[in-house]
Order: sequence, then C-alpha cells, then structure tokens
Amino acid sequence: MAFMGKGGSGKSTIAGTFARLLARRGEPVLALDSDPLPGLPYGLGVEVDDRPIPDDAVVEGPEGGPRWVLAPGIGPADVIERYAVECPDGVRYLQFGNTSGEIWAVQRAQFAWSETVHGLDRSTWSLVGDLPGGTRQAMFGWAKYADCALLVVEPTAKSLHTARRLLHLDRAEWGPTTIGVVANKVRDEADVVRIEDRLDRAVMVRVPWSSAVVEGDRHAGAPLDVDPDGSFVAEVDGLVDRLVPAYDRDVEVS
Amino acid sequence: MKIAVTGKGGSGKTTTSAALARTLARRGLAVVALDCDTNPNLGISLGVGDQETERLLTLRERLDEGGVEHAPGWDELMERFGTDAPDGVRLGVITRIENPEPG
Ligand SMILES: Nc1ncnc2c1ncn2[C@@H]1O[C@H](COP(=O)(O)OP(=O)(O)OP(=O)(O)O)[C@@H](O)[C@H]1O
Ligand SMILES: [Mg+2]
Repeated sequence: MAFMGKGGSGKSTIAGTFARLLARRGEPVLALDSDPLPGLPYGLGVEVDDRPIPDDAVVEGPEGGPRWVLAPGIGPADVIERYAVECPDGVRYLQFGNTSGEIWAVQRAQFAWSETVHGLDRSTWSLVGDLPGGTRQAMFGWAKYADCALLVVEPTAKSLHTARRLLHLDRAEWGPTTIGVVANKVRDEADVVRIEDRLDRAVMVRVPWSSAVVEGDRHAGAPLDVDPDGSFVAEVDGLVDRLVPAYDRDVEVS
Repeated sequence: MKIAVTGKGGSGKTTTSAALARTLARRGLAVVALDCDTNPNLGISLGVGDQETERLLTLRERLDEGGVEHAPGWDELMERFGTDAPDGVRLGVITRIENPEPG
C-alpha cells in the first residue's frame, strides 16, 4: 500500500497506525517513508527523525545506469536487516533521509532507498508507504511498489482538489491497480457525502475527527499509544481488515 | 515588499497567504499572489473558485508539456497565466519543475 493525499490530510498518522495494526496480525511489515520531511515516525510512535541509508552502503553506479547503487555485497534484504529501524509491534521502518544534509548525500540515500524498495522480495514483506503531500511524487512514480494506493482526503475544498488530481493515477501506465479513498477528519454524514460527490467514488473507510489524536500530537504521541481504544484506531483497524484478505488472496478490492 | 510563506503540509500556508494578500490589497496596495506549489490551490483560498483554479493549473500543465510558450516577462506572465481575485489581487501560477526529484 502507499498512502497519498494533500499535505496535512493525515497520511502519516494513518499509515503509521495501519502498519502497526497489520504487524499485529502477524505480517512482516516494512514501513516506507519517502518524505524528505518525514512524518511517519509520529504515526508509528518512534523517535527517529533522520536515518538515511548510510554513505558507506552506496557506491557510484555503472556507466549508463543509475547514478548511485547499493555497494557490492549489499542486497535489499541486508539493507532492511542493518538499517531499518525497529518500531513497536515489530514494524521495521526504512527512511529516505531528510533534507537537512548535503544534497549529494541525500541523493545517494534516496537512490539506495529506491533500489531497496523495488528490489525487495515481495512475498516476504508487506509494504506500507507514506508519501509527501501533494501530487508530485505520486505522479513521478515514487510509489510504483504499491498495488493499492490509499488516497487520504479531508472533507475540504483544497484536499478534494488535490484528491481529484491524484485520481488521474488511475490512467497512469504504472499506476496502482486499486485506489481506495480514505475519508479522514470526518465529522458527520454530510462530510462523507461531500467527498463521494466531489470524487464520484465510494469512500472505503471513514476515519472520524478525533480530539484524542490532536491532543496526542501535541506531545508527539502516536494514536495507538495515546488512544488505543478510540474511534480513530478502530476505523484504521477496519481498513486493515478490509484490505488484508483481498491482498492475501490477490483479488480485486471494490 | 515581497513575502514568502512556507511550512509543513496542512499548517495553513495557503490560507494565510490568501488572507494576507487580500488584507494588503484592501489597504490599497497593488498585490500579486503567486502560487508556486507543485499542487496549486491558492485560488480556492483567495476565493476565485474551484473551476478557475483548475483552469490556471491546466494552463500551467500545457506550459510544462511544451504546448504553449513561457512568458518572456513579468507583465505577460501575469496577463497570460494570471486571473483576477477579489479585492483587486492578481493571482498567478508559476512553475518550472527543473528537476523531477521527490518532495
Ligand atoms: N482523524 C483525525 N482527527 C484529528 N486530527 C487528525 C486526524 N488525522 C490526522 N490528524 C492530525 O492532522 C495533522 C496532519 O497529520 P499528518 O502529519 O499525518 O498529515 P500528512 O498528510 O502526513 O501531512 P504531510 O503532507 O505534511 O506529511 C496532525 O496534526 C494529525 O495529528
Ligand atoms: Mg506526512
């Protein structure tokens, strides 16, 4: 899966919760963050802000190939083993590296991240990705690893505007097979109707506006740690239920 | 005076920029509001509506695809790639994805 949507719609909060709930069902889960200003650690409940694949794991690529590649002897599985951060519920977290470093160093780590993600053994790992806000990375194919894109949308004009654009991914050649609409910060039925009307799609799950989530965020607490029995977690759990059987059996989700 | 508004996703950059632009315009300043976001929606916050916001974006995409020429200078840029917003603000979308890297 890959979570996408407008900035601030709740991608990282939902993705982190989703990854942990999926891991609780016994799946080996790799949480992927391709946001150079990473927000996923807050959703996962870990204190990590800059953990790129280190320099010595990356070398210059061959003539005509990618600019940077993983060093000889280091495969995608080794990267996970060595550099992915251990999170609650057994989730492993692979970060892209944030933009505070030198630009060349950031690029090295990003190329290595991409090679790792696309080269991983898909029968071993469930991937839960979190994209930066907006349309750019999604449109440029940074979430090609995902069979299912989850479009997080708030019932606001701007969030819906971005969501409509992201639905064009339906027509992209490499696009995900399914795009599921996740309504977030829902206050009432009218919010859901607004989203469904504007996107001309059924909403897959409605995650309610949660003051407990907002309160937790004041102190960098993840929903699963500050409000495990609340409605936010319950709805994300429902989303996991909905998607797991579909992808285990490799059938289309409606 | 030139003001740039930045911050995390969802923190209120667009809403703040729009309010600032219209407030300055109401005080009699000639204001140009520039949307530099790769996913522009300043038009919605300024109050020009969904459709006009979408039209400017489509125009910009055609520019990116090479379907139309870049504007050679400021006046023409605002003329061709801009629209009138309330309180006399002129809104323009500008772009150039120099480098299709993430973020
Ligand atoms: N259901 C909810 N109810 C209330 N607040 C929420 C809910 N979901 C997310 N939030 C809050 O919305 C804010 C943005 O969430 P988050 O950082 O997950 O968004 P994002 O889409 O990842 O943003 P960005 O594009 O900047 O990465 C946070 O303060 C978060 O706590
Ligand atoms: Mg985020």
